[in-house]
Amino acid sequence: MNDRATDRVLIDQWREEPAPLLPLLHAFHERDGWLTEDALRAVSCGLKIPLAELFGTVTFYHHFSQEPPGRELPRVCDGPVCRFQGAANLIEKLNAKPMPCAGRCDGPVPVLQADEVLTGLSVDQLKAEPSLLPSPNPGAIEECVFAHIREPGRVALEGYRKTGGYDCLKGVLAETPEHLVSLITESRLAGRGGAGFSTGKKWAMVAEAPGQPKTIVCNADEGEPGCFKDRVLLHYDPHAILEGMLLAAYATGAKRGFIYLRYEYPETQAVLEHAITEAMDAGFLGKSICGKTGFDFDIFVRRGAGAYICGEEGSLLNSLEGKHPFPRNRPPFPVTNGFEDLPTVVNNVETFAAVAPIVNHGADWYKSLGLGDHAGTKVVSLSGDIQRPGNYEVPIGLPLKTLLHEWAGGPLSGHRIQAVSMAGLSGGFLGGGDLGEVTLDEPSIRSKGSFLGAAGIIVFDERRNMVDVAGHAMAFFAEESCGKCFPCRIGTQRLTERLNGSAGPGDESAWCEEVNDIEETMMATSACGLGVAAPNLTKSLQKYFPEQIAAHLKNESISGT
Amino acid sequence: MTLNGKEIAFVDGETIYEVAQRADVEVPTLCYDPRLEAFGACRLCLVEVEGSRNPVASCTTPASAGMVAHTRTEAIEKHRRTLLELVASENPKKNIDPLRGYASQELNRLFEQHDVRPGRFQGKHSGTSSQDDNPFILRDYDHCISCYRCVRVCAEQEGDHAITMMNRGFEKQITAEFDNRLKESACTFCGQCVQTCPTGALGDRKAMRAEAQKEDFKKTRSVCPYCGVGCQVDLLSKSDRLVGVQPAMDGPANEGALCIKGQFAFDFVQHEDRLGKPLVRGEDGNLHEVDWDTALDRAAAGFKKVREQHGNHAIYGVASGRAPSEASYTMQKFIRAGFGTNQIDNCSRA
Repeated sequence: MNDRATDRVLIDQWREEPAPLLPLLHAFHERDGWLTEDALRAVSCGLKIPLAELFGTVTFYHHFSQEPPGRELPRVCDGPVCRFQGAANLIEKLNAKPMPCAGRCDGPVPVLQADEVLTGLSVDQLKAEPSLLPSPNPGAIEECVFAHIREPGRVALEGYRKTGGYDCLKGVLAETPEHLVSLITESRLAGRGGAGFSTGKKWAMVAEAPGQPKTIVCNADEGEPGCFKDRVLLHYDPHAILEGMLLAAYATGAKRGFIYLRYEYPETQAVLEHAITEAMDAGFLGKSICGKTGFDFDIFVRRGAGAYICGEEGSLLNSLEGKHPFPRNRPPFPVTNGFEDLPTVVNNVETFAAVAPIVNHGADWYKSLGLGDHAGTKVVSLSGDIQRPGNYEVPIGLPLKTLLHEWAGGPLSGHRIQAVSMAGLSGGFLGGGDLGEVTLDEPSIRSKGSFLGAAGIIVFDERRNMVDVAGHAMAFFAEESCGKCFPCRIGTQRLTERLNGSAGPGDESAWCEEVNDIEETMMATSACGLGVAAPNLTKSLQKYFPEQIAAHLKNESISGT
Repeated sequence: MTLNGKEIAFVDGETIYEVAQRADVEVPTLCYDPRLEAFGACRLCLVEVEGSRNPVASCTTPASAGMVAHTRTEAIEKHRRTLLELVASENPKKNIDPLRGYASQELNRLFEQHDVRPGRFQGKHSGTSSQDDNPFILRDYDHCISCYRCVRVCAEQEGDHAITMMNRGFEKQITAEFDNRLKESACTFCGQCVQTCPTGALGDRKAMRAEAQKEDFKKTRSVCPYCGVGCQVDLLSKSDRLVGVQPAMDGPANEGALCIKGQFAFDFVQHEDRLGKPLVRGEDGNLHEVDWDTALDRAAAGFKKVREQHGNHAIYGVASGRAPSEASYTMQKFIRAGFGTNQIDNCSRA
């Protein structure tokens, strides 16, 4: 039963806030357990969003329920690592529904119920485990973003300040914003969410673009399967991200910031909100920061509702604005036309976490952390058939084999590494001799037809049927495709069918001809990165495991429609 | 900029597609409707731009000084064919009667133009027909290709926002809120969604009643009789019977728009109950055909009697929103100067 007075209270609470739709929907979702028709009518009226549009937007997201049991229904991750750890069994025993990769690949299978996350390999083992910290750096290299993350109390302002947190502000504010932008550009810091665009260049473009108020967005959607680095940075070193965003605000003249946090990290939302309150109380957020008149900056946390594509910057911005989460057509780009069509910085969590250390230690220091000509470090999320899964901050240029065998202990006892995924699932696979050759940097990995991207690496040993792995991965892309552009909407569906054998030619050369045409067209014509990247799965499958494809086509019976 | 080797001047903000249209260079599209914001979904309008790694969608890419673009290269033609073959695979084959809607032949025409090979990329079909029993709009989503022209015209041009896109990816469906029937939504049945649908997934149910008659229909340009806007329409006829209405895309007042009345309410024109001759009630209590003079005399006599018995203000005139200004002027003069009362009203005030 809906209490009309409370509807009004909730709407009034959020109506005047920036980016109000997501938090308002969550408020109703939490109050009632699911989004009722009445609730949606009230939200439509209160925020002046046409009801049909609102309905369409709500159905886009995985985790918004519109009927009982709603939020209380447990969801179990059936991502590429968890499916080999007993996810299907958990789903059956708990009467749960599957959910795509929830970013816990370094531990047992996560089960999300309302706002609680339990992990375990079987029903009787389920318990609440805190997010796993990275182990001490196996290479004993100097770290940038992980330098202090393991210190107890780091999450609190006091702990953060102990190693000089927020100290650099005084010096930064005494110089011009252009000076800060130059420093970041000089350091060669590039986007750590996968696109690798020069961070300094991006900030410069926003600083120069006309229009106010400007916005800083931290992309904490981390939906790429096999990536779980942002989870640990936000949960244990939230002030590092806040400080990074604050510095970005000074550099660009932005007045407000958002942290767009994925739905599946509920415990992290409270951590972030608390850190923001601490920062505000200490004068590091709000008005006249550090006493500098005119330097105002507020940060808001906005929780997503379950959609991988909302990690794509255009879709993220549309989601924040309360619109249907399609990616945006580019040009124009967010640097000139972003949140509310105004100049906006969209950067990944790890990118922001690197900013204050760069300001404190200098551009040359950061550059020197990379190997050879490479600049800086990258956090790699490693999982799957490997002795020691986890987050590893590596110097860019580190050989993959060093990470796999020396740092992470190599394959599980009695097994051998057959393939690894790259960039989560978006870079397809590497296999064969290339495993021993590539170094963890874009030029090396791109030369093999893949890319480093957000640096999620999933390991598959010889037990795994790679066609089955690729099929499951392609099904993820098909499930997450937003449905806007034809090549991806239809292409991901068709490629999935050809990998799982439910449709497509039975003859190998006909199969390859169709698959290659779909790959080519998706890669050249898709409207966003999802459609461009998905074909990497079948391309690399054909490159490294053609015999498994042949076997798949001979054994499986292909049924036409 | 240079398009297919020819230099063309452009205005800042024009897209490559708009420049191509002006220069009479044909670029195929499916999700494009010139009255709506370019969407960039079908990717058929791709062009190669020198210096760009991948082709770009010309409908969403602004022209820039010095840009060199090519609309038909071997690579682009191959992509177009693959895209169309993928689209062909998502729905069952069907001949769509052009009575379904103004744009309903667009997809099949593109299949022919690009030599689409049937049977490629076989797999699951998308979309399912909706059980919506309203008398005007057929929702045959077995033929939907998710171009969203219907959703966009309803939102951008009509401002009704009655339909939306539910779910994600290949499972995307066109629905009203809560998957309701159109009758329970904000839909005003203006039929604009039907007239922009390029596959006939949305069909004009009234026009489709004439599908059984095998001849092609004739189009006659006219003006909608219903209100003062003066939307231009094309009347569809078979053997001199009016079977449907399509909007005129080049009508200066409406540019392709219509409302429920102009689009669907034409049955009165050749209805068997329509009055063809004046009728007057005789002594026997029945209505009898008479000539105009007799009829007018009878009506005038009746009004005169009412005035004598009950005064001027017993008469109340209601003009019609369908009438042009001249007729409205004459009507109010008739009531005020003729009958001596100011009780003149108009149905469009309601």
